Amino acid sequence: MAEIRFAGYGGQGIIRSGIIVGRAASIYDDKFSTMSQSFGPEARGGACSSQLVVSESKVLYPYLTAAGILVAMSQAGYDKFEPELSEKGLLLYDEDLVKPKASRGNITPFAIPATRFAEQLGKKIVANVVILGFFTAITKVVTYESMKKAIPDSVPEKAIDLNLKAFERGYNFGLEVLKKQKEPQ
Amino acid sequence: MNSIISAFSKGIEKSGIDRKKISMPSDVPFNPDVVKALGVDYFQIPRGRAIAFGTGLKLGNPSLKVVPVAGDLMTLGGNHFVHGARRNMELLIICVNSFVYKKIAGKPIPSTQSAFSPYSTFEEPFNFPHLGNSCGAIYTARWTALHTEELADSVAEALHKHGLSVIEVLAPGPNYYTDIDSIELELLKFYHENSTIKNNEDPKNVAIVPDEKIIVGKFTDKERPTFIDSYNVQHSKILGDKFTPHGGKNG
Amino acid sequence: MKANPTDVLTGIYYIDGDVAAGYGALAAGCKLVAGYPITPSTEAFEAMCRKGPQVGTVFIQMEDEFGSISAVLGAVWSGVKSMTITSGPGYSLMMESIGFGAMLETPFVLLNIQRGGPSTGVPTKTGQADMMQSRWGSHGDYELIAISPDSPQEMFDYTIKAFNLAEKYRCPVMIMSDECVGHMTEKVVIPEADKIEIEPRRFYKGPPEEYLPFSPDPDLVPKIAKAGDGLGLYITGRVHDERGYPVKNEEFKAKYVRRLVDKIRLNKDKIIELKEESTDDADVVVVSYGISSRVAVKGVEIARQKGIKVGALRLVTVWPFPDEKIIDLAKKVKAFVVPEINYGQIVFDVARCCHGQANVVLIPHGGAGVHNPLDISDAIESAAKEDKKIEGVVEFKTRLEKIVFERGLKLKE
Repeated sequence: MAEIRFAGYGGQGIIRSGIIVGRAASIYDDKFSTMSQSFGPEARGGACSSQLVVSESKVLYPYLTAAGILVAMSQAGYDKFEPELSEKGLLLYDEDLVKPKASRGNITPFAIPATRFAEQLGKKIVANVVILGFFTAITKVVTYESMKKAIPDSVPEKAIDLNLKAFERGYNFGLEVLKKQKEPQ
Repeated sequence: MNSIISAFSKGIEKSGIDRKKISMPSDVPFNPDVVKALGVDYFQIPRGRAIAFGTGLKLGNPSLKVVPVAGDLMTLGGNHFVHGARRNMELLIICVNSFVYKKIAGKPIPSTQSAFSPYSTFEEPFNFPHLGNSCGAIYTARWTALHTEELADSVAEALHKHGLSVIEVLAPGPNYYTDIDSIELELLKFYHENSTIKNNEDPKNVAIVPDEKIIVGKFTDKERPTFIDSYNVQHSKILGDKFTPHGGKNG
Repeated sequence: MKANPTDVLTGIYYIDGDVAAGYGALAAGCKLVAGYPITPSTEAFEAMCRKGPQVGTVFIQMEDEFGSISAVLGAVWSGVKSMTITSGPGYSLMMESIGFGAMLETPFVLLNIQRGGPSTGVPTKTGQADMMQSRWGSHGDYELIAISPDSPQEMFDYTIKAFNLAEKYRCPVMIMSDECVGHMTEKVVIPEADKIEIEPRRFYKGPPEEYLPFSPDPDLVPKIAKAGDGLGLYITGRVHDERGYPVKNEEFKAKYVRRLVDKIRLNKDKIIELKEESTDDADVVVVSYGISSRVAVKGVEIARQKGIKVGALRLVTVWPFPDEKIIDLAKKVKAFVVPEINYGQIVFDVARCCHGQANVVLIPHGGAGVHNPLDISDAIESAAKEDKKIEGVVEFKTRLEKIVFERGLKLKE
């Protein structure tokens, strides 16, 4: 079972990130997934988050009990949700937007310049999909193939190519990071 | 049987509309015999909700002619009237205004002497035609219960209008459909004698004011797209072939 | 009767409970949705506004909740299926016409996505505190049906069921969901139309002059008609005879209202849907509904790992209440544990049916969240260990309640 928190600010596609991963897991990977989102003013510009539980069996408790993965796209989101991250958790963050504190426990941090990559691809708005590629490579909660199917379902038709490119960019970056980690320092 | 009901019935006759297609949601209780004589479908609705219920009837089956009857148009459910007029829902509202005018010492004053107002009324009444007109109603008229011919003509005319029409009928007491006792008859006569017909008068000038003649007549008669028209235009524009227009202008 | 293929948005979706309920209503053949937006039910209305015009379902945003429900009743009497969607504050406003709808034996569906109350409460968070209101909210004697789904898939399935029950028993049906399920996104499978069973309206088909709108069939439910068919309908919220004409005398009042409640009470067996699991040899049975029943399964699993014999009874239909089932179980079990997101509502009906034969434990929750499964397992454990009979409803002190209690005490200093 994986318990994931996506955090950022409204407009970054934080909720959509949860939906894309959830859809990939439950529709294309044949697992169970439950996504809940934050509502109200925070979804419209302020701090914003969505929580996703992915499991092999039916998800009974719909919310996170201990987040295993935190995907942080803003400093406020990081500050708010870092404390709920479990001691052995994974922290994925946009290195230009989040300055993490000294690591606690066995939390493994993974940094990516997602927004910078997105800007290079031509649209800042796809930063969330860049980080989803990164997420897929690092966490393996969902498969690469399923994500490639789930993304076109979740974005406007004319933006599919760009989003898939963004996904690839993040995914490949993730693979590189993992490779580097394995190499002896 | 009272003058309003017979005028209404005569109005339906004149309009040539099939009585079976007329639905009357009403917060005024009608006697079953009256309904039978009218030959319409009748629904007695909780106070103030006749227009909203009528909106559902009309949207569910646009071929119906829906005639909500409201006792107190602007108290409970006043919002339904205001918004019904704004969206130009195709309804003919008969507002039976029992805001009784009494003659005291030769002068007409507003009065609803009842248990709730033993010392007579001192609040100003609404000017319904003006209110309806300014909210977007396409037809407004006012008659007293003794202007039977004019009332029947108004009903016949308004039944063919596409949009929200409102006819205010001044009548004393809630039991206007039962036998009128002599006092009420006297009052009716008083209304009739103290009213003056001014068709096409600007509705803002027709407020009922003590010591002045009550202005009756047809005040508004215009055309505007109805809710269903606008609904169809908007969705056809955006959805194209995926959208099948609802009902149509006459249902 | 099968669903109309154009109404059914067949496919596999990843959508929230609100949207799933909206799609369910469309599949059931709902042709008018009238509503006034209110968090957390808005997504259901939005889904119907988006898809409705493409399948011939009209939507109207009314001026208020009084208007919404009145328009729904009007639409039903014009001959179509109709529903409205709301949450706590709007639900309170609709009470007037829910009683009116029950009195007129009008088949309609109301989706209530419960939120934290009372009053404005916590609009964006969950609650289950409208359960008694759904049963007793409007004045006078009447019975209706309430269903409580626990997932987006069930929101789709049970919205269709709600329409079917409404048509079958000519009564209001409440879908008493909550914010957690409404805003929870999961996989929802919408089958082909020929896999969806739809209850047709019980229209009168005989000669017009013989029609009696309130003359019941053997199952106590009368045939319905619609406006514009030349039947000369006289429909009133007053107590009425079979013709629909108002009557005042005691005998008619008794006859009419008796039938109004009995058509539900005597058909209970056919209406009630329960999900019962391992109750046969259980010491403790968890009775729950909606999102709480889903969370309770987790608590039950934890308790079982500790070796406790625990069963689960889920009330899919909360109203009418399954009296007989509880009476029957009370003879066999030690205790009932009832988790609900309120300070005690359905638990009192469980206690009513227990007749002191089993202990009854409430696991309360103030709302704005769901139960901690550990509280549920702890409550099961302590109920299983309790050997003496305790009168009345026992309240279990949850972790949250303990914090509230401690901080509350500090406030007094």
